[in-house]
Amino acid sequence: MKKNDLKSMGKSFTKYILIIGALLILLDFTFHRHEYFSFAEIYGFPAFFGFVSFVFIVMLGKWLRKFLMRKEDYYDQ
Amino acid sequence: MISNFIPGLIMIITSFLLPTIPQYFRHPAMLLSVGLSALSLFNGYGTFLEWDILGLNLILYQSDSLTLPFAIIFHIAAILVIIFSWHSKNLMEHMATLAYAGSAIGALHAGDFFSLFIWWEATALTSVFIVFAGNTKAAKDAAMRYLIIQVSSGVLLLIGACLMLYQTGNHNLAVLDLKTNFGIFIFIAFGIKAAFPLLNGWLQDSYPESSVTGTVALSAFTTKLAIYALARTFPGTDSLIWIGAIMTAFPVFFAVIENDLRRVLSFSLNNQLGFMVVGIGIGTELSLNGTVAHAFVHIIYKALLFMSMGAVLYRAGTTKASELGGLYKYMPFTTIFCIIGAMSISAFPLFSGFVAKSLIMSSLGGMGMVLIYFILFFASAGVLEHSGIKIPYFAFFAHERKKKVKEAPINMLIAMGIAAFLCIAIGVFPKYLYQILPHAVEYQPYTLDHVISQLQLLVFAIIAFLFLVKFKLYPSEIRSTVLNSDWFYRKMLPGIGKPLLKKIGILTDRLYKNLGSSFKQVLSKSYKFSNLSYIKVTTPSFAGTILISILFIMLVIVLV
Repeated sequence: MKKNDLKSMGKSFTKYILIIGALLILLDFTFHRHEYFSFAEIYGFPAFFGFVSFVFIVMLGKWLRKFLMRKEDYYDQ
Repeated sequence: MISNFIPGLIMIITSFLLPTIPQYFRHPAMLLSVGLSALSLFNGYGTFLEWDILGLNLILYQSDSLTLPFAIIFHIAAILVIIFSWHSKNLMEHMATLAYAGSAIGALHAGDFFSLFIWWEATALTSVFIVFAGNTKAAKDAAMRYLIIQVSSGVLLLIGACLMLYQTGNHNLAVLDLKTNFGIFIFIAFGIKAAFPLLNGWLQDSYPESSVTGTVALSAFTTKLAIYALARTFPGTDSLIWIGAIMTAFPVFFAVIENDLRRVLSFSLNNQLGFMVVGIGIGTELSLNGTVAHAFVHIIYKALLFMSMGAVLYRAGTTKASELGGLYKYMPFTTIFCIIGAMSISAFPLFSGFVAKSLIMSSLGGMGMVLIYFILFFASAGVLEHSGIKIPYFAFFAHERKKKVKEAPINMLIAMGIAAFLCIAIGVFPKYLYQILPHAVEYQPYTLDHVISQLQLLVFAIIAFLFLVKFKLYPSEIRSTVLNSDWFYRKMLPGIGKPLLKKIGILTDRLYKNLGSSFKQVLSKSYKFSNLSYIKVTTPSFAGTILISILFIMLVIVLV
């Protein structure tokens, strides 16, 4: 097995995901996407919402470590 | 005759017979008992068994359109768990698992609150042995806490049932509201088992401490029994919409920073229950169908994810993200099954989560509940984060692994394979799932709008993940404990309680010293108990707690 297996897998995965992402955005321009709420019909809204939510969740979670993280043996002390 | 036999009871009887069965035949016997119990699924709807006792009419076996889908999936889950644990020789865990699954199935068919209470406690008393069978000190301690909380839920249910009988003269399962005091008791009892916000600590505390196979069993029954009970008694209760929305959103932040992947899955389970609770709160036919469909598919993919992490624990010896990575080379099948589970829970089109979650989202959209809709949409990105990406990424990829491990045993692969097949089959052919839902509703999940919208959300959330990893913003795995609501009774209460006891000790000491000498001798015995040096804060023994719980339940039953 090659040493950089994971790295090359990661790279090709990133490439394909970016292509799919671009296609999904392009597709949004080809038809009118009906949603329950009109503002969600803006081009690429779910994509934007997904990206921002994800970053927000990770960043807030990371910040919460300050308050919620304790040593592994915290309850045994 | 078989049509009058309470479903699940045969499994409980078999579980008690297991010690007399040679090891080699135990698993076939367990499967056979589940198969016999499953015959009840063909009985149709109606009331099949009642029992008049002490002037109470107990409905022990009834079935309707809400019972059936839960009964089907509980039987499937029991089969998956048995196959997954085929290699194991842990008799106690097998007995507990079979009796636990049987009790949960029995509970589904109870027609009144007292029968439900009996099964409710039976699931608690059987499942605690599964936690206990984790066989570490941490597991045994967690089992104690688990038992206390589960039994408390049952006691609240019993109080509610008694109050209801006293005030209305009726104790049959019916739609309740929160304007009555018994309604509130029953609501909290269900809320504990459904892991409502702040009542959820027991779940993340106990599930990850159980054994490789035990956690799979635990993940299927207790919480979904609570969802069933809520769907039966509190459909359309507005407060459930908000409770559910909070449940979907708030565990995702904990899951981001948790290091133990089985605990991440426990947070994820909590978040999934939130979607179901929202569906119950909306209370329309579409949303209730959504809740039931979600519970159905959730049991399968959650079991699949817990099985894959169980396989990792079995082979690599840990599920801590900080110690894992690179397992895809050594456990390729487990990796694929885990990814199928991860895609199902993340609700990718053509996977089971999509066809179930859509029902709840559509009912929210149809009602114009914009805020809740977007909280759930946001939580969907959270699901992708913790279960869709974090679990497979840290276990199987992340970094190269030097130490070799073997692929999971064949029985585990078969169980995971069946679950993975069901995840895809339901996703591709949702009409078979929709046919068994409580209400007949025409629904088409695969519209272009919906598929594109969901794919955009998911794909760009994955891009966000790649972006965060690329710029080293994604939090690294750190060996740690993440505080959760169990902190209140594991740290805060002892923190307040111990000094308080000390204060009381000092006070009684002073009081005692000021008392006349004639009193001294009389009080000398009680003094021993009030002096702090004699008070040792100890954990009660496991057997002791079981005994006390049983005695307490017997006392309550006698009093009733």
